[in-house]
Amino acid sequence: MSLLKINDLKCHYLTDADTVRAVDGISFEIGEGEILGIVGESGSGKTTVALGIMGLLPENTAISGEILYRDELISSLPESEMDRFRWKDIAIVFQNSLEVMNPVMKVGVQVTEPMIRHLGFSPEKARSKCADLFRTVGLDPKWMDSYPHQLSGGMRQRVLLAMALSCDPKFLILDEVTSALDAFTRKEIRDLLVALQKKNGYTMLMISHDITFVSSVASRIAVMYSGRVVETGPVRDILVSPRHPYTRGLVHSTPDIFVYKDLWGIPGDVPAGDEFKGCPFSPRCTQKIDICKDATPVLMPIGGGREIACHRGGIAGLLEARNLSFSYRLPDGEYLRAVDNVSLEVREGEVLAVVGQTGSGKSTLAHILANVIKPECGEVLFMDGNAGGGSYGNKVNGIQIVFQDPFSSTSNRFTVLDAVKEPLYINKIGSNGDRLQMVKNALELVRLPTTDNFLSKYCGELSGGQRQRVALARAMVMEPKLLIADEITSALDVSTSANVLRLLKGLQNRRGFAMIYISHDLSLTLKIADRIAVMNSGKIVEMGNSHDVMLSPYDEYTKRLVGSRIGLCCHNH
Amino acid sequence: MEKDRNSFIFRLLSTLFVILAINFFLPRMMPGDPFSTTSADEVGEEIIVMTEEQRLYYLNYYGLDRPLYEQFLVYMKNLMTGDLGRSIYYKMPVSDVIMLHLPWTVLIVVGATVISTISGVILGTLSAKNRKKGSDRIMMTGLIAFAEIPSFLLGLILLLVFSVYLRLFPLAGAVTPFADYNGPAEQAWDILYHAFLPIVTLSLSQLTGVYLLTRNTLITVTTKDYIRTARAKGLGEKTVWIRHALRNALLPVVTRTGFMIGIMMGGVVLVESVFSYPGIGMTLRSAVVGRDYPLIQGILLVIAVSILVCNLLVDKIYGKLDPRVGI
Repeated sequence: MSLLKINDLKCHYLTDADTVRAVDGISFEIGEGEILGIVGESGSGKTTVALGIMGLLPENTAISGEILYRDELISSLPESEMDRFRWKDIAIVFQNSLEVMNPVMKVGVQVTEPMIRHLGFSPEKARSKCADLFRTVGLDPKWMDSYPHQLSGGMRQRVLLAMALSCDPKFLILDEVTSALDAFTRKEIRDLLVALQKKNGYTMLMISHDITFVSSVASRIAVMYSGRVVETGPVRDILVSPRHPYTRGLVHSTPDIFVYKDLWGIPGDVPAGDEFKGCPFSPRCTQKIDICKDATPVLMPIGGGREIACHRGGIAGLLEARNLSFSYRLPDGEYLRAVDNVSLEVREGEVLAVVGQTGSGKSTLAHILANVIKPECGEVLFMDGNAGGGSYGNKVNGIQIVFQDPFSSTSNRFTVLDAVKEPLYINKIGSNGDRLQMVKNALELVRLPTTDNFLSKYCGELSGGQRQRVALARAMVMEPKLLIADEITSALDVSTSANVLRLLKGLQNRRGFAMIYISHDLSLTLKIADRIAVMNSGKIVEMGNSHDVMLSPYDEYTKRLVGSRIGLCCHNH
Repeated sequence: MEKDRNSFIFRLLSTLFVILAINFFLPRMMPGDPFSTTSADEVGEEIIVMTEEQRLYYLNYYGLDRPLYEQFLVYMKNLMTGDLGRSIYYKMPVSDVIMLHLPWTVLIVVGATVISTISGVILGTLSAKNRKKGSDRIMMTGLIAFAEIPSFLLGLILLLVFSVYLRLFPLAGAVTPFADYNGPAEQAWDILYHAFLPIVTLSLSQLTGVYLLTRNTLITVTTKDYIRTARAKGLGEKTVWIRHALRNALLPVVTRTGFMIGIMMGGVVLVESVFSYPGIGMTLRSAVVGRDYPLIQGILLVIAVSILVCNLLVDKIYGKLDPRVGI
């Protein structure tokens, strides 16, 4: 039986100027003893849900839908009736802030207050229980006689926790309890919560933007975006394989999960308009289709206890390669299996890195995927094969490849304009005037000048870094959905390669195309990859989330690869 | 701590010195002197027009013909010994004159402070609770319009209505002249009866300020997180409002009360004049008219010191009420 049930809850803040749809139709259930986490960035409506359950929303809020506690409707109770449930049944641990407690009242008094009111305790009895609670949450009872401003943030958070536990509630709401705390305190509070929950079997609703914290305590997670739940399911599943593009962005922006990767947030902001149509995430989504603009997706079960609200059924596959093989014929007549029965999948908007030592078949694989060479057997499907085999490189929104050596991939005798314009020219895209503008846009994207002077420069006059950017611009001019970058920084010096790589990842993050990044440099790869495929002798020996592959490789070859990084002199073990 | 205390005392003393200097020089900058008064304040008062010879004699007698700095030094020296000088008009020590009239002023100022604060807080709370409703709007508009009436005009209106037409209250004085009381209760009643209208006038002049401050602070306070916390705890409306909201909202009201006493000490001059109430305000007025320098100085000093003391008290009380201050 569910302890708390929410049906199609909507909370709209009405102001003179407009209506803010803080919560826009969410439903969920929490069973007895269960811990549900709600995550989402600030402004997604998480706290409004918490306040809605407590009946604490401001007067200018239009509330519809129902909140049931033990099958009793509590969403439309008058203030005095609601007081029956508050604290004795449902208590909330607020986010610690200086003014969350009455500044002119001793904290002990503030903790005992509800006990005296709801449990009918005498002040002495309440005080002694308060001392017990303080010890439970790891505070010396001597702090009972201090004022809120005399306590540190962590201590205040403990007092707030003690306060919430004072009347032995059944259901505990935790609203951003750790977001203002340092790492040590955060961990202590987490351990405390886990221990308390084990001991007393609280049912909990944990609200936080801190996905690491929530996932370490909760069993189920609901991801909120712009007042709606976009994905829900068991914690582990959501963290390992997020299915909604927003969830993936959130997981990827979490430094605790992707320890090595550079931090890249989700580009764009939560839509603020009150009359928003369609999927709220669509302005930031990398895989939006026409329907996303017009209709709001509803939460649909996808199996495994997971639900997702996305017109495309979650993150869509972009490219699928099945059983690819390719052999080179050596001068002595022998065949060398460069690519041996490789299957892989690239999803919308993700960065897949293919790593391996020189000669492991990475570049051959890249060339097959880019349709530069034909595989002996196996097939490559791009966008479910809709684009038709073979032609996806010649089209806008197709696949583009950038090669390792810019000095051979761009002709010395081409001007910058000609080099970048070439694919448009060959594929007969746009008029001459359009093409010039497209070239300029592409050059701007890769941070190259767009002056006539620069456009008429010969590629031979450019530096290595500039030439690689021209090559990149030539790929970008076709606005690819998938970019294959084959060792694009290995011919460049450290600083230039860092610049090019950051530029590339920035472009990928902003434009939302998917990327296959091929490299032998594990350290660089870890900075940008979401997933890693490790290649050895033409086979993919291991594939997984970049942090998993890096932290716990299972294949012998991967272990060697991870172990082969040369440490600096001071890091020698 | 020790250093803070010293600098505090130094600041207090220097403030006092500046006040003393102003008190001393300001009356002397007014045209005329105590012996050239030519107008009578009340009908029937004898006008004594002195000859030039007599005038010079008296100026010399009171030491007013000596250079100003010399007079100032003498004044300061006497002050050190607690001597405020002799009143020229009353022909008795200034301290005696003040002690004779000060209690009446204290009575109406304290009375007005208590009444205006309590009723202002109650009205402000009611208004804040019914925010944006009819009663709040009416109270707010009414009291703000009311505050625009100067206190002496208000006093005149009250005097006309209640004393002249309705004859409910006396026209002047602090006690019934030549009264023979049967016990202290009757005396107290008589005193209150006379003090009633002046107190009401002074209270009304301060009421709107307290009301607005309470109302607005309460409205701000009720949006604070700790009020939400108190609500979440299910403590009930009454506890939330009184224990949590009002307790915090009263802090600025306390500060204001300190200033208010200062403002009232000034305003009391006019109110006492309207009701012919024999406090120091009226005494000051007649002292100014008569250019009774020592008395002017004495009364201004008492007013200044009482304001300083009030502010000091408010600081102390505030420190007790708000644990965030002064630790």
